Amino acid sequence: MKRLQLQRWSSSALSSRARTGGRLQRHLYSSNRFQSTNPTPLQSEADQSFAEEPSIPSTTTPSPKFTKYQLPSPPIQAARESAKLAALHARLYLPSRLPLETLARCLVDPSADSNSQFNNVPLAVLGHDLLTHYTSEHLICTYPRLPLTVIFAAMFAYAGPKTLMAMAREWGLEHAAAPGGEVDPGFLQFKRVAPGTDTNAEPLIGTTRPNEDQKTWRKSITSSVVYDNEFGDPDMAGVPSSESSESAIQTQYTEGVTVEQASASFVRALMGAIYLHAGRPAAKRFFEQHILSRHLEIANLFSFNQPARDLSRLCARENYEPPVAKIISETGRKSRHPVFVVGIFSGQDKLGESVGASLAEARTRAAVAALKGWYLYSPLNVRVPSSMEEKGAAPWKPVYVDLGEVIV
Amino acid sequence: MAAFITVSKRPILGLPFLLPSCDSVSLELRRSQSSYRRTKQRLRVKPDASFGLSSDKTQDHIIYNPPSSSPSVYHTPTKFLPSDDIRRSLRTDTTADHLNTEGLPSVLKSPLGKKYHLGPSDITEIRKLRLGDPITWSRSKLAKRFDCSPTFVAMVCEAGPQKKEIQKQVLEAVQSRWGAKRRMAREDRKLRKETWGRDE
Amino acid sequence: MPLRGIRTVTTARNGVGAFILPCKRLDFHYCDWAGSSRGMLAFLKHALPKFATENPQIEIRVSPRPHKHPIITGHYINGREKSICVRNLEPEQIFVKANLLKEASGEKLKRTKKPVTSINESVRGIWSPYHGGLKSV
Repeated sequence: MKRLQLQRWSSSALSSRARTGGRLQRHLYSSNRFQSTNPTPLQSEADQSFAEEPSIPSTTTPSPKFTKYQLPSPPIQAARESAKLAALHARLYLPSRLPLETLARCLVDPSADSNSQFNNVPLAVLGHDLLTHYTSEHLICTYPRLPLTVIFAAMFAYAGPKTLMAMAREWGLEHAAAPGGEVDPGFLQFKRVAPGTDTNAEPLIGTTRPNEDQKTWRKSITSSVVYDNEFGDPDMAGVPSSESSESAIQTQYTEGVTVEQASASFVRALMGAIYLHAGRPAAKRFFEQHILSRHLEIANLFSFNQPARDLSRLCARENYEPPVAKIISETGRKSRHPVFVVGIFSGQDKLGESVGASLAEARTRAAVAALKGWYLYSPLNVRVPSSMEEKGAAPWKPVYVDLGEVIV
Repeated sequence: MAAFITVSKRPILGLPFLLPSCDSVSLELRRSQSSYRRTKQRLRVKPDASFGLSSDKTQDHIIYNPPSSSPSVYHTPTKFLPSDDIRRSLRTDTTADHLNTEGLPSVLKSPLGKKYHLGPSDITEIRKLRLGDPITWSRSKLAKRFDCSPTFVAMVCEAGPQKKEIQKQVLEAVQSRWGAKRRMAREDRKLRKETWGRDE
Repeated sequence: MPLRGIRTVTTARNGVGAFILPCKRLDFHYCDWAGSSRGMLAFLKHALPKFATENPQIEIRVSPRPHKHPIITGHYINGREKSICVRNLEPEQIFVKANLLKEASGEKLKRTKKPVTSINESVRGIWSPYHGGLKSV
């Protein structure tokens, strides 16, 4: 009976109404981790089964035989004993101000532990915002003329979940087969998706876009700035939280997540943790060393449909002479393998040139080269706005802002 | 090149490919040159004239030797640079293309030029003709009559639903006679065309 | 849609920003009884603590392997592993072997033929016969 009383007491402390509490509550969470109830149905069943047993004295520490298996994720004390965790900390050159306990918390996915006091959701939200903020300001300041679709693709390439998963793999992160309190905290704790689940059949309900049920309506690229997320995908998280959506999130977590989602949330949470514990400069350094140092060929992200038309619209907009395609050199015109070198000229100036096996191909490729020359303009001595956050930064000079992409 | 020819110990006629025009006499005089020494000697070419000292030999100069490769897309053309970019003034004289742009032949056979000679009344007439008798007034015929391009006719008006249906049936009839080879070749051609826009 | 963006993933360049040591775990196996483990036991007693503090980024596991020769196994971030049998070796020789495993990349050994391997584009581009000093005939 004592046990039941304790449950009632701790659940009232954990309820959303009582979460305004300060130090005392936090102390309770950190020291008496095993006393917290868990909202997952599996756990409550376990609680009931334990409640039927002869009662354990609640004031003293219960024997670890029960608690370890009872917990959804490793207890906080285990972080200091894990060699794997310490090795990961040292391998990533994390600042010493970031404690091992926080690193262990970054490794707990919400599908393993749905209590947001112990999983990495709050850190991942912060880290995701930081990652996308730094990436987007870098992209927009370095290539101010990039079209929006290419910016979305580049954002995905730098900070998308696929890249974050690859990073976590290159950091030597290992996954736990199943989450639990007895697992080494150095493993990534998440509940896997059941085999045979169709991951692509995602219902696009609950996005921020109005009239989302109208499948035939055109979705403009400009509207995705407002309604979609950083990668141009439908934004699910922006829904104002209510009881129904929270229950939806709960079911989503209990269903399990893919390795990609879990690894991405770990990297994001780590970014957020570094920001909170070691400060902004350390977070920025971490971003530059691990994300920005990766190689991306931005010129390969373009896929034009009608480049010649786009280029003539561009020249009309910028008041240049209309572009004319001219043959610079050619060989083997009537043979099996002709080669044409075609340049696109606007007045006396050459805008782009390319090689093709037919005149049409060479002309199209030259138009693509000219458009890339326009879009991939990069100013000298690029500075990003967040560089002003450092102390003693040079006075800010406005960056180059372009008119926008060509609209046909 | 001229300097090389004067310095060279070999008679000029032995090196026919160095001459501006290979006449038949020099071709007859050429003999088999297969030894290692001769090949190495042939490769001992003097550096480009721009690599040497300048004519006055008083000051340092910049060697300008553009790469013999297709230009990179990261190298923004001077015309596309904003007016306040410093690279615009740096590039003015030296890197000007030596191409004579006037003399180059155009890719398109007819000189491209937009005339803008059709008014709203012409456009309404095009629409009326096309909707009224789409079989007689096809796009090409309308283009010929109004002296514009078929693309312009397509931009101005759309064919009626009956004409679209007929055209679809015609296309299906033609495509039904294609075999596997032709169909595959057509699909490949379409895929290849898409790679042009991706620059692959 | 006139222009689309193609989704890709950025390529890692280990060492350009941060350097991640490819060796993530070293397993030391010994036998208490067999004589071939004598050097290994001495290494574990005297040299391993120093080795572990010098390389905090490597997880080190020590476990007995009765009636077998002592081995060291390295686990790498590309998922491969390398093992070296250190039977009858002196502690100094074992230290050399452990260092070898620590510095390995985990890849299969292969002969390097080119002096430089790079994913960066060359400065002067790929030579093309249609560009550069064209001579009109």
